[in-house]
Formats: sequence, C-alpha cells, structure tokens
Amino acid sequence: MPSEMAARQPGDPERREFMAKAVSIVAGGAIVSVPVGVGIATLVSPIFGEGQGGIKIRLAAVEDLPGDGSPKLYQVVAERTDAWTKYPEKPLGSVFLRKLENGGVAAFNSSCPHAGCSVGFKSKEEGYYCPCHESVFLLDGSMGKFCVSPRGLDSLEVDKDRLKDGEVWVTFQNFAAGIEEKRAI
Amino acid sequence: MKEFFNWIDDRTGIAKLTREALFESVPGGARWRYVWGSTLSFAIMVQFITGIFLWMGYSSSATTAWESVYYIQNEMSFGWLLRGIHHWTAQIMVILLVLHLVQVVIDSAYRAPREFNFWFGVILLFITLAISLTGYLLPWDQKGFWATKVATNLAGIVPVIGGDLQKIIIGGSDYGHHTLTRFFALHAGVLPGALVALVVVHIYLFRRHGITEAKPATKAGALYYWSLLGVVFGALTVMAFIFEDSAKQWVPWIVSGVFAGIVVRIAFLLIRGGDDDSASRPKRDGMFWPDQILRDAIACAAVMAAVLFFVFWKSTELTAPADPSQPYNAARPDWYFMSLFQMLKFPVFKGALGLLIGAIIVPSILVTAVFLMPLIGKSRIGHWVNVVMLYLLIGGFVVLTAMGFNHDANDEDYKRGVANAHADAKRLNELILINGGIPPAGALTLLYSDPKIRGARLFAANCASCHPHGGGDGMGGEVKEPSAPDLKGVGSREWIAGLLDHKRYTSAEYFGNTKFKEGKMAGHLDDIEMLQADIDAVSAALASEGRVAGYSLPEGGQKFIDSGFDLMFNDLECADCHGIQGEDEGKGPSLTGYMSREWMVNFVGNPAHEDLYGKKNDRMPSFLSMKKEDGTVKEGQLSRQDVELIVGWLRGEWPKAGDVEK
Ligand code: FES
Repeated sequence: MPSEMAARQPGDPERREFMAKAVSIVAGGAIVSVPVGVGIATLVSPIFGEGQGGIKIRLAAVEDLPGDGSPKLYQVVAERTDAWTKYPEKPLGSVFLRKLENGGVAAFNSSCPHAGCSVGFKSKEEGYYCPCHESVFLLDGSMGKFCVSPRGLDSLEVDKDRLKDGEVWVTFQNFAAGIEEKRAI
Repeated sequence: MKEFFNWIDDRTGIAKLTREALFESVPGGARWRYVWGSTLSFAIMVQFITGIFLWMGYSSSATTAWESVYYIQNEMSFGWLLRGIHHWTAQIMVILLVLHLVQVVIDSAYRAPREFNFWFGVILLFITLAISLTGYLLPWDQKGFWATKVATNLAGIVPVIGGDLQKIIIGGSDYGHHTLTRFFALHAGVLPGALVALVVVHIYLFRRHGITEAKPATKAGALYYWSLLGVVFGALTVMAFIFEDSAKQWVPWIVSGVFAGIVVRIAFLLIRGGDDDSASRPKRDGMFWPDQILRDAIACAAVMAAVLFFVFWKSTELTAPADPSQPYNAARPDWYFMSLFQMLKFPVFKGALGLLIGAIIVPSILVTAVFLMPLIGKSRIGHWVNVVMLYLLIGGFVVLTAMGFNHDANDEDYKRGVANAHADAKRLNELILINGGIPPAGALTLLYSDPKIRGARLFAANCASCHPHGGGDGMGGEVKEPSAPDLKGVGSREWIAGLLDHKRYTSAEYFGNTKFKEGKMAGHLDDIEMLQADIDAVSAALASEGRVAGYSLPEGGQKFIDSGFDLMFNDLECADCHGIQGEDEGKGPSLTGYMSREWMVNFVGNPAHEDLYGKKNDRMPSFLSMKKEDGTVKEGQLSRQDVELIVGWLRGEWPKAGDVEK
C-alpha cells in the first residue's frame, strides 16, 4: 500500500487540487473565525456575568404605612453600578408596601410579572391593575379574575428583625417575566 | 470632455452599467402602479442620510442618550427637522412596505422564477421592523424605555435560551449603558448593513427577472386604487378634525383638500368611465428612463411631502428621560406593533403558555405562512388563498390596532401617563434652560432636584394619603379618604382666611377629619366670631410671615399687617396659646415665621415638636430622622432634601423660565 500511494501522489493533479481547496477553506475559515469568535465571545459575556442580586434597602417606617392595609408605592433609589458608571443614587424600580393584619408588612415589586410594565394600585376592592395587558391582581398580590399574567405579583423579602423595631427593610430584586416560576435575575 | 469620459469608461465600464440601469424596458409602458419599489428605495436612502447625520449628534449611553437627542431636537439648527424626517419616514416606510407586499401578492409577482426575490423581500420587511424596534429605544425616554422593557421581556420567554438571549440583548441583567450601545450598533450598523446587502440582491434579482407586467388597467382597477387612497385620506381628514390643534389650522385644510381631490377623481372615473387603456396603450414597451423614472420621482416627492406634513403637524415626541422607578401608565409599542400588543390582552393568551403562544408562536406561524406564499400560490386557487390570507392578516392588523388605540383613548390612566411624561419633558426643557445646560450625571438629576416635579411626586407618594391638594393628590390622581387639610395654596392669605372661618375650619377642607375639629382652636373660633375685617387683617399678618410664592403687600400695606398682629396680641387672644413674632410661647403651635420655608420644614420634619402640635399631634408622622428620648435615632421617611422639595412645591417656589435672561 505505501508504495502504491507514494507512486500515485506526486503525479496526481486532481488530488493536489483537492488538497489545495480543502486547505484554503479550512485555513480561510479559521482565520475569519478569529475576529468573529472573539467578537461573539465579548457579545455574549453578560450570560456569564453574575446578576446584580438583591439589594437590601430601608423603605419606610411601619407607622408610615396606611393603617387600613391599603398599599403605598415606594421608589427604590440605591447605589448601583451600570457597566462603567457607579451611580451613588440610581432609581431602580418601585415597591408596594402594605400593613398586614398580623402586624407584618407585605412587599411587592411593582414590575408586572407578565411583561414588565409598572403595575398601579386602584382600590382595596379592585386591587392592582397593569396598564399594559390589563392584568388584575388582588390586594394580597395573587392573580385576580382577569389576569393574563402567569403568576401573581412578586413578593419581596421583608426583614423580620428590623420590622420589630418598626422599620421596613426590603430586599429589592427583579424577576424574570412571562413565566410561572419566580426566577430572580 | 468626451475623451475624459471614454477614459473613465474604459477603466470602469460605467457607461454600460448606466445604460443597463436606465434603459431597462418596462413591458407595456410606464405605469403608476410600478412606483412602490422606487418609493421604498427612496425612503431607505432618506433614512440612511438622515440617520448618519443624526449619528453625528447622538451619544449612546444611559446618561447621554436622552441628553444628546434633546440637544439635536432643541439646540442644533434644523435638528428638529432632521430628527422629524428620520422619525416620520420610518413610519411611512412601514406603510410603503406593506403596500409593496400587497401589490406583489395581488399581481402574483412571487411566482417562478421570482420566489427567492419574494423571500428576500419578506426578510427585508422584518429587518426594517427590527430597525424600527431598536430605534424606538435610542432616545432613552420613558416611552422607549418601557416599550423596550416589554419587548425584551418577551424575548426572554423563548424556551430554553430565552433568559440568556434577553441578557445578551440588553447587555446584562439590568437596562443601562449596554442596552443602548447594543441597540445602537444593531440599529445603525448590523441591521442597515444587512438591509443594504439584501436590497442590492433584491434589486439585482428584480432586474434579472424583469418587471411583472400588470394586467391592463381597467376601470375597476383604477376605482379600487383611488378608493383605497380615498379611505386613507378620509381617515386622515377625520383624524385631523378630531385632534384639531388651533395653532395648526392648516392641517385639516390640507388633508381635506387632498381628500376632496380624490373624491372628484373617483367621481370623474365613474362618470367618464375612462382609464380602460388596453386599447390605447402602446403595444411597444416603455423605457425605464425617463418614462417610469418621472413617475417614480413624483411619487417620491409625494412621500417626502407626506413626511414633512407629519413633521409639521405632529412634530417629533421626546418624553421625559427613562426612569425605571417612575411608573409609566402609557407603555406602548409603536403603532405597527400595537396589534401584537393588543392580542396579548385576550384571555386565550393567558399564562406562561398563552404568552408563549401569543407572543412567539402565533407570529412565527404567520411569518411562515407569508414565506410559503410563493409555493402556495403556484396554482390559481393557491393564489386566491394567498390574497385572502393577506387581506385577513391586514384586516386583523387593522382591527386589533384600532381596538388598542380605542382602548387608550378612553383610558384615564393612560392619558394621565402620557400627560405626565409630556409635562415632565416640558418642565425639564425649562430646567435645562434655567440651569444653562445638563449636569454630567444626566437630565434626570435636574428633575430629581426640582420642587415643581419632584416635590409634587413626593407629596403624592408621602402626603396625599391624608392631605389633598386642590382635591386631588397633586398629580392628577385622587385622594381616596382625605383626613387632613387641603394644602393647595397653603400659607396664602386666602388659605389662612379660610382657616380662620369656624365653619370652614371644622369642615373636611381643613380640620374636619381630625381631632382638632373638637379642639381648643375650633372652640375659640366659634366663641370669638371674627368679623370679616378681622379675618382679613389677621390673614394678612400671618401671610406676611411665610410669604409664599405670589405674595404681595396687602392693600393698606404694612400698617394693615401691623393691625392684624395687634388684633392677635390683644382682642383675639391668639397670643395666649401661640407664639407670635418671636414673643411668648403658649401650648399651641408657634406662629413665628408661620408657613415660612423653615417653619414648614420643621413642621413636616416633626409636627410633634413642643413648639408645634406637641402632644396634641393627630396622626401626622415625623418625616425627618430624630433622636428619641432613649438616645437612639428614629429614621425619618424622607431625607431633608426631599422635605425641602415638598415644602418648595407647596410654597410654589421653584425656578421659573422667566427668571433667566436669555
Ligand atoms: S405587562 Fe402587565 S399585563 Fe402585560
């Protein structure tokens, strides 16, 4: 066999041409893939990055909240880094707080779990209302009768110890919209 | 000269190229209905030109995007026109694309051998929509921000890859600089690049196959076209009258004029029945140059005229800068996505699966159906299936879009959202002028330090659950259960005069819903039965302490004021309880500096202070941090700066545009 190949190789123009074509294609592809590959690697870097996670922030004193259990909207403004900029105070979102009958406080992210519009509060009977696709949420954040959202409003963690001192500290966080599962982003 | 041309031609072959480009034969002669493709190329060209000039003034980052667009719009000469043309051409381009598509389908111009060109055309349509979608965000205003938030969240629901996809699109887990840089690169680089490449192929293929000869014009065909135009302009006329703007009286005139012209044309067609030119039409083919090009040029001029018409009529919106913590009740996509948006409201698309079906699967099926048209349309029946399908699609689009807009037109929350965003933007323009520019941290910081905007918002969020302001919450919303005095005009002579009237003092307007209704002051007011003259004098005296905005010396001047103080010290016995002009301190709230900025800040900060309500305080919280008796600090709800902003707003003290000299 080896002798046969050696005999055929040098003189076979077809084979030489094939090799040349194959090498050009592979080499050409490899060369182009360097800039493209690097570019794409940079582009997709956010998926390897860590999310910003929750931010613990003081929003109110318990006594500031309406005694009748209706919610009040609080802006969340906190220190935050966005790419290269560090903002000492950046508006991040807003949170509904409401007093519970058992003395606790419930907190909801006002971002609609359907597609992310800002939910407003109508009244204790009508509950919360999203101005985008008209989802209605009940006072306790659960889904109302007409609600295209896949889940109720996203509740946020309220620090129990601080609550005892009359302070409402909330871990502010955003969650992926449009799915049933409440997944932090 | 000729030699020079020959030399160029020899090296480049340009003469042949030009000949080929211009002397394309148009079978059956030039026709008006062949202009759509040219108007589209024209629109694309306009977008490239205006886009590149806008690019020269635009800066894509979260702290400069809105700011640079503001600068283009308001400071650069003709910037408003440049941006206006870019914006409105984009809108009209979508319409032209759809018309082009309709024409191709009706004429079955997708049949062999033109399938590929049809597919390229459809891809072009989607690239254009993608360019529009990405462009919508670039001004980084409330409108673009919230619409993009919704759109990118929908990208996030794609199974398996959705989460990562969304992160890649917005450049992280949060919206910011990298959302803008990415959208901008797509909008001005990647997508237009792809667009150009495809347009070249599209036109090359079009030339390769030649024009699809339309059937000879018939009366019915002409009527159809003119009625279509009539419907469009009829709708525009109705719109122009509904949204009539007294400053732009010319608008209804122009559209109704065009509409009248179309009606006359239709009438003429009906009477004379002309336009059946199958007999008169020259049998020989026409030439692209100059027959068809002349028509194309006129059509392009009409497109430009329409664009300018809208720029002058509707101008080009720039709402307040993006603020994720500021709810925006008017989050809507641009009108051509309104139908999709509206669709998601239907209960069939409820829940995660429903959303996936409504936002991803149904649109994908529709797109696939359009892609399959050349294959479906091979037979005669197939062709009709396509035509019907297309009309159904367009019909559905129109109905859903109309439903969406109709809903919004009747939705108070929506209207308030729009009005607020516009008011903010207007105020911000004023603030920028007053400040002489935008601070490096961005325009939002100006809004956040403005008593007029920020003060009102803080009031609505923190005070309006008890205190109304002119009956509402100060932001156009309502106060459900007012339980404390209405603070509109607080500190003014009129407001104080109302307070001194026993009847009003004990009404809901002042203290009717508090325990002060039965308090000492109420009793005292009842006892002394003040004369109107006394009320006037005392309110003049007290108003001179606070001097809220709009304050002026009363008739009778300082003397009258002094007489008011005199009454308070003597006849009316106010000084028995209240500290007045720094003298004495009774149990009631001190009236020294009554309703002055300092007094109010102290009051909001801690109404239960011994100089104020003391122990008698009824439910009003202390908004500033205070030391408690045991030495610990009780954190207030608001920062000092916030309280100052609320007080500034209540006192009507904010920088006004007239304050600066231009
Ligand atoms: S975003 Fe709230 S209902 Fe769709």
